[in-house]
Amino acid sequence: MFDFCLHVLTLACLYGLMALALNLQAGYAGLLNFGHIAFVGVGAYAVGIGRLAGWPLPLSMLAGVACAMLLGVAVARLGRNLASDYWGIATLAVAEIVRIVVLNQSGMAGGAQGISALPGPLDALPETAQPLAFAVLGLFAVALAAWLSARLAASRFGRALRLLREQPALASCLGYDLGRLKRSATLASAAVAALAGSLLAGYTHFVSPDYLLAAQTFLVWSMLMIGGAGRVAGVLLGTVLVQGVYSFVPLARDLLGLGSETVGALRLGLIGAILLLCLLWRSAGLLPERLRTLP
Amino acid sequence: MLQFLFDTLSRSSDLALIALGLSLVYGLAKFPNIAHVQYAMLGAFASVVLQRAGTPLALALGMASLLAGSLAVLCNLWVFSRLRRQGPAIAMIGSLALAMILVAAALAGHGASPLAYRLPLSAPWVLGPLFVAPNQALAMGVTLAVLLACTWLLLGTRQGRAMRALACNPPLAAAAGLDAERIIHAVHFLGAALAGLGGALLALNTGAYVNLGNDLLLPIFAAAILGGLGNPLGAVFGGLLIALAETLVTNLNIGWLYGQPMAFVPAGYIGAASFVILLLALLLRPYGLFDREVRRV
Amino acid sequence: MSTLLTVTGVTKAFAGNAVLQGVDFAIGPGEIVGVIGPNGSGKSTLLNAISGFTPVDAGRIELGGAPLQRLAPHRIHGLGLARTFQLPAMPEKMTVFEVLLAADNRRHGFWASLCGGAEQRAQEAASRALATQWLGELLLTGVRDTPAAALSGGQKKLLSVGCALMGNPRLLMLDEPTAGVHPNLRRDMVAMLQGLAARGIALLIVEHDMHFIGELCQRCIVLDRGRVVAQCTPAQLSQHPQVLQAYLGSEHPVVLEAAV
Repeated sequence: MFDFCLHVLTLACLYGLMALALNLQAGYAGLLNFGHIAFVGVGAYAVGIGRLAGWPLPLSMLAGVACAMLLGVAVARLGRNLASDYWGIATLAVAEIVRIVVLNQSGMAGGAQGISALPGPLDALPETAQPLAFAVLGLFAVALAAWLSARLAASRFGRALRLLREQPALASCLGYDLGRLKRSATLASAAVAALAGSLLAGYTHFVSPDYLLAAQTFLVWSMLMIGGAGRVAGVLLGTVLVQGVYSFVPLARDLLGLGSETVGALRLGLIGAILLLCLLWRSAGLLPERLRTLP
Repeated sequence: MLQFLFDTLSRSSDLALIALGLSLVYGLAKFPNIAHVQYAMLGAFASVVLQRAGTPLALALGMASLLAGSLAVLCNLWVFSRLRRQGPAIAMIGSLALAMILVAAALAGHGASPLAYRLPLSAPWVLGPLFVAPNQALAMGVTLAVLLACTWLLLGTRQGRAMRALACNPPLAAAAGLDAERIIHAVHFLGAALAGLGGALLALNTGAYVNLGNDLLLPIFAAAILGGLGNPLGAVFGGLLIALAETLVTNLNIGWLYGQPMAFVPAGYIGAASFVILLLALLLRPYGLFDREVRRV
Repeated sequence: MSTLLTVTGVTKAFAGNAVLQGVDFAIGPGEIVGVIGPNGSGKSTLLNAISGFTPVDAGRIELGGAPLQRLAPHRIHGLGLARTFQLPAMPEKMTVFEVLLAADNRRHGFWASLCGGAEQRAQEAASRALATQWLGELLLTGVRDTPAAALSGGQKKLLSVGCALMGNPRLLMLDEPTAGVHPNLRRDMVAMLQGLAARGIALLIVEHDMHFIGELCQRCIVLDRGRVVAQCTPAQLSQHPQVLQAYLGSEHPVVLEAAV
């Protein structure tokens, strides 16, 4: 049971990183990125392809971050003259293209089977200490990302992003280069998401095209919207809630004797229902973004 | 060559009704409804289940369509009429949540395995060089008839004029005495009924399965965006283009690239064709092929 | 007299409908110029064209010798041109003070913001001092911590003027600054805007209120159907035959009497 809790905690931390990354784009800058999982997938696959190529883990992780940022530049370029909802569809398409490419690259990316026996960042530790150590690593990473996010939100850059999100025309006539602001937010988000993906691949010692399913993006989105987009505490709360539902539904299966298809349905339905209820009754999330009163 | 044309038409008829419905609803509700393709999935299930239970096929198709339409009206009443006030982003995410719930419902109700109509097996008709499955012909015939009816409804009737007026300028249309809420409900009904029928017809060839909606999401959006979201008849042409691209990619002999007589694009990449077209379309013509208006950025 | 802004032969058509047809005029530093004309004469389009929101079909726009007509709005702002909107929309989730701070776009880069440092802190302190000063001058100190979207229409106008001034512009373009502003405040606004002009900031003001134009402006540009039909002092307006011609039929000429 303790190991299971550690597992849930570690996963929550990794998804928390992804949600904080998405928050940089969606929460702060108001960008509807529905292909966020592509960044995570690039980070995860970098670890896999790095192992096949015989690279050391840190180098593969770094390469993953770099590739995700390149993808980020392309995605941001795509959004230069698109209305936000059209851009959302475009990012969804980008993520699907990435997934289809890795699904069909059986030589380099393992195809549908994915790549297994991946190295993890903590392989040097004894087997029994690894779950605990990974949970601590995850907590540390999330705490760092949360601190940096909060710092960014309070800074001049964060203020510019808020103005971009709320009144783009005003921001533009006050001298902000909207394209550049969007690109910066997307790049930062891509880097953090790719790091989360590398850690996830290192934790599960496995990566497959299923990591890149659009449903994963939607899962991260529901964390953001349930908790409260634009506020770090809200995002973390949303992550804990959604990850809790996701991890403890299988427990309910054992208790109630449900089939495995029912578990999938229950997970999806519960998260969808919570998200919908949140949107209807608390559209700003459980912990809404606060007005910043400055001294 | 004839077979190629026929395959293109068959695929575009699969997409046409659903894309038409999506575009119709976008024109009024002004947000991309991600749950729209799930109406098609539910329509497929409803029709297959009814047909297997002994309902005649024509009646099953009609009832599936009505069912999808009614569901959409309920969704609009409870969800979208409230979320739309908070902007397109929130409404879009709400439609995402709804899509999750609908997929979960299908998964819980039936499970992951596909479900096919109980139809007598029939040999394909051979028309000269052409092989035509009777199911395909039926789907295309019904699609064509419904498309013609929709064109007439939109362009030739009072109701259609009211819908187009409301899509162009809501305040003005309201001032002119149009009952906006009623028309929006009607359009949601019509859009989802088209999607339900489209899904039910699609299931003639593929059977009904849980991911039917998810598999349609991007091709349908690509078709609707190519035609210009909110331009219903444009969406039909968008569907034709997507179908053409997909069929072209399937049949394209790229042997010359590798110095072999025959080589084809791997089947797994065919799905990507429509996404690439979607991205190109968004880059080059952000508001669709047939749109000359100036719009918001 | 040296010129700051030169507009030469600016033409713009929307879907074949000519909105600006060869507009020419110039403004010197510290000059206060009013743009008047009946509804639909192209005043707002002219402002949008100068500030880069509407690309022009033909013609030249120069600010201090630098051509503007192909630049994006943020680049034009960087050259020293600020503007306000006729109906200013303000953020919901930012306070008035925060909006003013955001209006100062110096040192807003990602790394500078993330790393902080002494220079960043100094810039932030300078912005806060400047914002506090404009809050006082625009009589907005009482609503400093209110969400900007919750202000009244008149207060939003004042706030958007404040935002424009946070960037230290050389030319400030105001689109109907007095619409919705309380009459008592209007007098204060005249004094404040004259103070700006005294510091060398040129003002280009689109306005319907002829009292305001008459008190404030040294010169008026009269637009009609996309053409400059007259340039004269406010006092000469009611004698100008083209001006009367322009206003007859669409608005009552009585509005012009007020300026005398």
